[in-house]
Amino acid sequence: MNISHEDAQQSLAAVEQATAQVGKSIAALSAGSILILWGLIWILSFLVAQFFLAWVWYWMVLGAIGTAGTILICRKQSRTGIPVKSAASKKIGWKYFWSWTALFVYATIWLFILEPRNSIQSNAFFCTIAMFAYVIMGLWDTSRFLLWLGLGVTVCVLIGYYLVPHQYYCLWMAPTGGGALLVTGIYQRWRWR
Amino acid sequence: MADLNNVIHQPVRLQIMSSLVALDLDEQVDFTYLRKLLKLTDGNLGAHLLKLETAGYIKMEKTFVARKPRTFVTVTGKGRDAFNDHLTALKKIIKPTKRR
Repeated sequence: MNISHEDAQQSLAAVEQATAQVGKSIAALSAGSILILWGLIWILSFLVAQFFLAWVWYWMVLGAIGTAGTILICRKQSRTGIPVKSAASKKIGWKYFWSWTALFVYATIWLFILEPRNSIQSNAFFCTIAMFAYVIMGLWDTSRFLLWLGLGVTVCVLIGYYLVPHQYYCLWMAPTGGGALLVTGIYQRWRWR
Repeated sequence: MADLNNVIHQPVRLQIMSSLVALDLDEQVDFTYLRKLLKLTDGNLGAHLLKLETAGYIKMEKTFVARKPRTFVTVTGKGRDAFNDHLTALKKIIKPTKRR
């Protein structure tokens, strides 16, 4: 079987396109809804912090709502039948859950040890911890989008912490941090499916 | 030297194989999802899958999810090898090895 140089190039381009499409599509299926949920939670939390309440309690409440929502989304996906399955996928789902739980338990321990000076420092600490997890997941994942999202939001947190006056920190983080999660989730669901 | 593979080289089957090989080793993909992803009809996808299955490059497994029948498709080890050989052959056409 003989084909021309151009045909070979076209075939390889088609292979690359199909491979990328699968990676993106799977990422959109599994993470799109979860990112939208957490994006909304971040936006709501930062806006509440800016205009209404003191820091700690509502973050805990909204964090618990986000965790419960994430579990519900994952359970719904496994009940209705996710289009890609593997013998390992159920175990991996629980491993993700326990990894996140462990990360936040340890982050809380570090917070007590480090004794941050103010609530903005604590918040920047937790946000960068979450984004650190995104970066690690992105490094292991085929589609890499979590890596870039994690790095992007980390930059937003650092700009907010170092450059934005602290009284406007929450106002900055709501559209940039929360917005980045929300827009990425929506973009994935609409464009990558 | 690896040769081009007649079964895999057909454009639709090349797309199917690229999609399946992109998955992890033990992963299976739903027929309906694959059909939507590749923008094919049931009949068209079914016919190409059958050809790939006959060649031993993929496996199809019928199962029930939430009491509904579903077909899952996975690439075999032989399919992965054949696909990689085909890619190698394509790359060699683009960049032929220099002869001394």
